[in-house]
Amino acid sequence: MNLIAIAILAPFSAMLLILLLRRMPAALALTGATVGLFASISLLTNAFNAVSSEILLPGLPDMPLRLVATPLTALLSTLVAVISTLVLVYAVGYMKNDSEKVRFFATMLLFVSAMQTLVLAGDWVLLLAAWELIGLSSYLLIGFWYRRPGVRSAATRAFLYTRSADLGLYIAAFVLIASAGSSDIATTLNTSGNAAVVAGLLLLVAAMGKSAQTPLHDWLQRAMAGPTPVSALLHSATLVAAGAILLIRTAPLLPEETLLIIGIVGGITTVVTGLIALGERDLKRMLAASTSSQYGLMLIAVGAGVPLAALLHLVAHAAIKSSLFLGAGVFQHSRESTALAELEGAGRDRPRIFVGFALAALALAGIPPLSGFFSKDAIIAASLASPDATVLASFALAGTLLTGAYMARALRILWHGNGQNKRPEGLGWMGTGVAVLVTLAVVLGATFPDIETGLQASLPENTLAQVLGLGFAVSGLALGWFIPARRLLGPVLPWTRQGFAIAGGFDTWMVRPALAIARHCEQLERGLYNGVLAVGRYGIDIGRAVRLSDERGIDGLIFSLVRATVELGNRARTLQSGLIHREMAITVVGTALIFVTLLIGLTVY
Amino acid sequence: MLPIVSITLFLPLLGALLVMALRRAPAPAVHAIGIGTSALTLLGAISMWSRGVNETGFTQLEQIDWMPAIGAAYRVGVDGISLPLVLLTAILFFLTFIYSAKVHERPHAYVVLMLLLETAAIGTFTALDAILFYVFFEVSLVSMYFMIAGWGHEDRQRAALMFFIYTLLGSLPLLLAILGLYLGSDPHSFDMRLWIDNPPLSGTAAMLALVAMLLTFAVKIPVFPFHTWLPAAHVQAPAAGSVILAGVMLKFGTYGLVRFALQMTPDAFREAGIVILTFGVVAAIYGAFAALAQSDLKRLVAYTSVNHMGYIVIGVAIAALALDPAVRATALDGSVLQMISHGLVTGALFFLVGMIQDRSHTRDVNQFGGLLKTVPVLGWSFVLAAFASLGLPGLAHFPAEFQIFLATLRVEPLAVIAILGIVITAGLYLQAISKVFLGEPQKQWAGMSDLNAREVLTMAPLLILIIVVGVAPSWILNVIHTTTAVLQF
Repeated sequence: MNLIAIAILAPFSAMLLILLLRRMPAALALTGATVGLFASISLLTNAFNAVSSEILLPGLPDMPLRLVATPLTALLSTLVAVISTLVLVYAVGYMKNDSEKVRFFATMLLFVSAMQTLVLAGDWVLLLAAWELIGLSSYLLIGFWYRRPGVRSAATRAFLYTRSADLGLYIAAFVLIASAGSSDIATTLNTSGNAAVVAGLLLLVAAMGKSAQTPLHDWLQRAMAGPTPVSALLHSATLVAAGAILLIRTAPLLPEETLLIIGIVGGITTVVTGLIALGERDLKRMLAASTSSQYGLMLIAVGAGVPLAALLHLVAHAAIKSSLFLGAGVFQHSRESTALAELEGAGRDRPRIFVGFALAALALAGIPPLSGFFSKDAIIAASLASPDATVLASFALAGTLLTGAYMARALRILWHGNGQNKRPEGLGWMGTGVAVLVTLAVVLGATFPDIETGLQASLPENTLAQVLGLGFAVSGLALGWFIPARRLLGPVLPWTRQGFAIAGGFDTWMVRPALAIARHCEQLERGLYNGVLAVGRYGIDIGRAVRLSDERGIDGLIFSLVRATVELGNRARTLQSGLIHREMAITVVGTALIFVTLLIGLTVY
Repeated sequence: MLPIVSITLFLPLLGALLVMALRRAPAPAVHAIGIGTSALTLLGAISMWSRGVNETGFTQLEQIDWMPAIGAAYRVGVDGISLPLVLLTAILFFLTFIYSAKVHERPHAYVVLMLLLETAAIGTFTALDAILFYVFFEVSLVSMYFMIAGWGHEDRQRAALMFFIYTLLGSLPLLLAILGLYLGSDPHSFDMRLWIDNPPLSGTAAMLALVAMLLTFAVKIPVFPFHTWLPAAHVQAPAAGSVILAGVMLKFGTYGLVRFALQMTPDAFREAGIVILTFGVVAAIYGAFAALAQSDLKRLVAYTSVNHMGYIVIGVAIAALALDPAVRATALDGSVLQMISHGLVTGALFFLVGMIQDRSHTRDVNQFGGLLKTVPVLGWSFVLAAFASLGLPGLAHFPAEFQIFLATLRVEPLAVIAILGIVITAGLYLQAISKVFLGEPQKQWAGMSDLNAREVLTMAPLLILIIVVGVAPSWILNVIHTTTAVLQF
């Protein structure tokens, strides 16, 4: 069987098995994910040795579904498989006491197989399908604890935000298919001219929704209502990553003008959400804001014309962010809260987890020789080399500074202070997941040269970028560790607390107008309905009047035949006595008569 | 060779006659006859499907002279547009009979009416003679009128009146158009195939005929502003009636739009294309917004029908406007598949709303909460059907809407604005799911029972089909595409 198929179908069939058997969900989930992982790794080895593969499936007429394993897609597939397998290992411990493990693991596997489909998709229809399916899976997972307050609105919001932005992907796909005459992604990437500009901007809109870029960043923080392994998966290798992956994959298509806009959107996001992270009072929400900020950095790299830098940061960030979330999940279990105020000193009591958390934090900040250093360096170098260096590089450096600051702040809070701890159950599973992910976060930088070779692309080298990047990272860490966020943010603090919602944000600009239009439609509906009823009544009144005048005025002149008809009519009226079953019988007989006549007609001729 | 089409067509009628003959039979026996007859009919439809269609136009023709003097004959047959609709009709009626096995109120009349309706529906889709088509078209209205008036809910009289006014006024213009087409044809004939091959009217006459047909079909589909009967009729109709009304009878309108308006007056249709397209876009968006304002589950689903049927109108108008045959085929493929998808999905939703109402005797979303915990099978079925209705990939509506929008962008890019509908429907379904099924379970509904065997038997085939059509639509699309790829108009 084809490796591509196994990468997708292994988690998917594990999901079906879990739903059918309704037992041993964790074991089945791990098996499915591991099998998928091996398939992805083999795909990657093959692809890096120049053996690409492809599957064609019947789809819409003239638009077959296509799955491709190129070096890029195989790498992404491996990333998804590695992270999701480790997160599932962790989840075995995390969900130990939950009564709905079947539903949890089944949905997680759905999520993984949808994401694998997304990264391996070779045509727009399948990509779009997978794109929306990961939206569904995240809706189901964010809403996993659907009975808790606030959860349903968080899930609904996540789906609606991303779906609104998905329209961008829909229309971009239509534009590309229409201008290239094919739904094959590789073919459509040769599009140029206006179609490419329009499609590029629309793809950006779609990516902004999924990757939670300003001004569509609000849903991601609320999505913390789901279980922690979900957040870890959502932020690192699946839902949120999809936006950046889309832009990385379509980078060859994107023209100059679009690139600059992408870079600026990423730049604004990295600063705005970096500030939000710095002012945040909840550990998981802080990590969520940080996710938007890091994806902002990736968009800067895409905007600078070096998608490889974005890809490397995506890989490094996936390992780092899942480590951070999973670490946070352990602290959450030991304090039963994620509020930073409650978590003071939580790290001191779980030193091993804290070390892992701290390593990941330093990696994110960009301290050598951890993975984040190399990827962030690549982004800064890319921004310096781009035609719009001043704009993009200042955004990238500001993002780096903020990353250091909020991570240092979190570390300080976790280390200082005291609180009551309890020993969470399933610590073994959770610890294993965290340990492997942190190891990846530390060493992944060493694989970057191989990735460059495999993808046959290279990064701009720049010593200035390394110096600047390290300088800003260290200053950020120092600022965050020594100076309280309140002082750092100053007058901006209230803004960050509201998530920089522009005049009420999504609710004011989208939800309320939509509901107002809906209310107007409803009023119009009532008007139309009553109007039609009035016309109907009026018609009946006229009919009655005509009948009366006929009976009184003309009756005397009418021949007996007509009188008979009127009598027949009266009789018919008494038949319409309101006894439904009688009317029914009459209709049935009447209709049967019509048919019998028809049949007789048939036989006669 | 067996005349499978005629057998499929008249089996339900035979069943109805049998029930009328067995007036003293107990209710279970009557329902058994209903289920059995519709099962046989479904078998007939499946064997029609296995015979398939080809590129030459109509196939599986069965013809008997009837009134040669005026050129009317009993002519039935199918092509790639009508065959899927026949299959859909047979499936939905079969499931409706299973669901209705609980009806104890005048079961004889109920089963007879439903069987009559099934013959009328299959007849409408297979008739190739305009007179025959009109007869079936009208008979279905009468049956539905009595379904609503006889087994409906609290305000059924008014709804039935509304339904009657509309349908009475609605179908007259079609009769005029048919007469016009008849008089224009040379030699005079009611053979729809002749009218399609050589459109008999041209110029003003064709435009008048088109306007008349559009009036009839706009009421039937329904298109804003001719849709007011729909929410009223749906809310008052029994669940089974709603399923048939939305799943099968609305398709009469879109089927007629393609078969009559587009194929018999193609030039006039092309000329009026932009106007028809505009009506479609307005209906799609208006239906979505109107649905967003509803708190009654049944009204909500009813309005989303206006939205989904609006997409079909858009697709047909785009097919008329398109110059490239490939784009035209894409638009029509999408439109016909959308008819099937809407039948499956909205059928499922109306069944589910009916099941909720059977248990709680209310349809107001604000009365519920946390039902997913209390009735998980019902809840997850609703979630699946709702996501299908909001156009999620992997479920039935996606391939259809994708093709419609793709073709729209290629012909009239501005009309793609109708795609906003998929966000609004997402919003309204998520809101409904959130209010009814999520949150803390309410004590009031703690004792609610989950789906029983009869209900599971009704729902399971629909939900499976929704997934199958979504994941692998090619088995239907191949049939549709065989016809649409060679359509000349």
